[in-house]
Amino acid sequence: MVDLLLLAATAACVCGMTWLALAMEPHWKQVRGGVPPARTVRALRVLGASSLFASLLFCLAADHASMASLVWVMLLAGAALAVAFTLSWRPRLLAPLIAWA
Amino acid sequence: MFKSFRLSMTWVHTWFGLVLGFVLMAAFFFGALSVFDREIDRWAVPQSRFEPQPMPSFDRMLRPVFERMQPSADSIERMRERVNGPLPERFDTPIRWGAYTTHRDPVLGLFAGYEVPNAKEPETSIWANRTIDPRTGAALPDDRLKIGSRFFYPLHYSLTLHWMNLGYWIVGLASLVMLVALISGVVMHRKIFREFFTFRPWRNIQRGTLDLHNLTGVVALPFHFFFAFTGLVIFAGIYFPVGHTQLEPLHELHEKHDAENTGLPHDRAGVPAPLASVDAMVAEAQRRWATRGMAGEVGFLAVQHVGDANGYVSVYRAGTDRIALVGEGIHFKASTGELLREDPPRTAVDGINTFLTGLHLQHFRHWLLRWLYVLGGLAGCVCIATGFIFFVEKRKRQHAQAGGQGARAVDALAATTVTGMLIATLGILIANRLLPESLPAGWPGRGDVERYVFWGVWLLAMAHAFWRSAPVAAGRIAPAWREQCWAIAGLAPAAVLLNWATTGDHLFKTLAEPYWPVAGLDLSLLVGGLLAAVAARRLRRKEQNDDVRLPAAGIVGEAEVRHG
Repeated sequence: MVDLLLLAATAACVCGMTWLALAMEPHWKQVRGGVPPARTVRALRVLGASSLFASLLFCLAADHASMASLVWVMLLAGAALAVAFTLSWRPRLLAPLIAWA
Repeated sequence: MFKSFRLSMTWVHTWFGLVLGFVLMAAFFFGALSVFDREIDRWAVPQSRFEPQPMPSFDRMLRPVFERMQPSADSIERMRERVNGPLPERFDTPIRWGAYTTHRDPVLGLFAGYEVPNAKEPETSIWANRTIDPRTGAALPDDRLKIGSRFFYPLHYSLTLHWMNLGYWIVGLASLVMLVALISGVVMHRKIFREFFTFRPWRNIQRGTLDLHNLTGVVALPFHFFFAFTGLVIFAGIYFPVGHTQLEPLHELHEKHDAENTGLPHDRAGVPAPLASVDAMVAEAQRRWATRGMAGEVGFLAVQHVGDANGYVSVYRAGTDRIALVGEGIHFKASTGELLREDPPRTAVDGINTFLTGLHLQHFRHWLLRWLYVLGGLAGCVCIATGFIFFVEKRKRQHAQAGGQGARAVDALAATTVTGMLIATLGILIANRLLPESLPAGWPGRGDVERYVFWGVWLLAMAHAFWRSAPVAAGRIAPAWREQCWAIAGLAPAAVLLNWATTGDHLFKTLAEPYWPVAGLDLSLLVGGLLAAVAARRLRRKEQNDDVRLPAAGIVGEAEVRHG
């Protein structure tokens, strides 16, 4: 159960970071090409931020609050690295996460 | 001195970072390995490859072992110059017995400190250490080096440089510089959010290197900051119970403070007294933890003033379920088992301290967080290494034209601290598997030989790096990096194969059981070796590009160097 919650926290963190990255023009261009519409950028930011928040909630459900805060901060770093490397290596891998936009 | 605040920050960042970056690299890398120090111990001491065990019965198992323990011949020899007159045959007055374990330790570490008669300085004590199998009480050989917890771990905070505690001071200074480098780095950066996810390796080496430097620095900024900071806090002398086993130089001071604050006797009464059942005291301590809603195992058990009327027994809880390092110590009168004291709940300030130290020392049980710490530590290494490479890339052409050797020297030192350090690490693991079980008479202990191999290999790597970095002075890439990457790519799988050959624990077996301490290290070695091979191939391509791009310049550069 704890492992599942942590898995969910990791997934939410990676999705959140991806959405926040794709709200930036250069990264959107890498994945989709062109310029993202302003409305989409706003949606991506809200989605990204809430996904990171959801990740924190999953962490808090899994562990003692002090432990959860550390796990979350470290997950943010790990997810940001993963997204940055994916963007420079195979940016199109992230395309499914903006299939709706 | 500088035109702007930002330029002065750049100067501080560049030069302080360069000088102490070499130390920081070792602190970060061996710190990252220390996250799995107990697991590395299992790999290095095959006799200890079994499941972690709880603290065994004191009365039935530990007490007889403690009563037979004596300081090693080595430590007696070192004590000789600190006493007036001869040393006794046996040390009969134990000041303290202690047993320490964690949820990741199959074996149990015991230590005993004894009074030294006729010592030149008061309060001199001599220590004995032993590691036992808690299932049987049998002692493990003393000269087996626990490479993780007794070498990589101390290397990370003291460089194992004990002369005048120099190592602690150097690492402390380096962590201070780390904090300065982080702040000045943020000031220099300017595009922290705009380039948060930016890594452009397809641009030139300089750009890609700087991107990676910024990326690994910024995304793990909280980690870097808190680890440099908490490292300083820990050595500022915060008390915590494992101080006795792991931070020995600080422990005497702690003891005195503790005695003043707690009313637990600091000195012997001089009246002999028997030792009541310690198992009963442990059971009582566990009952009291349970009533506080913190039921748990014993992590640290100590008897102070053994055999004296002032003797007392301290029982500390293993902190596996929270970050803060709180022992919830409960203390009993040794002769009667009467409760003397329960450590009070922490004040707010203490709470922050124990959280900060606990955050760094990680006694908790959380495999995901452990791996994330490794990731953070390695991100720190990448950040420091790319800092060196950027320094060299930015200057090597100018230096080549001016005939200077500065960039070459920095490049050689960088290769020594990046790839050379990895080779030395693989060297000690391989030596650990290759050395015979018992060394011929007259040799140093097996663990000492392993340590010498580590430093010897590192020196060799350094010599190689300086020898094979001449092209840098001509504005090219040093072959030292590629060759050392190939060395890593060869040595890492060799360590895995040697582990198989000498213990029979191959990956199919350790993964099937599963026995993660050994499987995890073997897998990490294989992945590391593979990455090194990929890096070596890419470096080859860069060197070939240089050949195409700078054939004439290279020759001119080298000629200039020879004449300069």
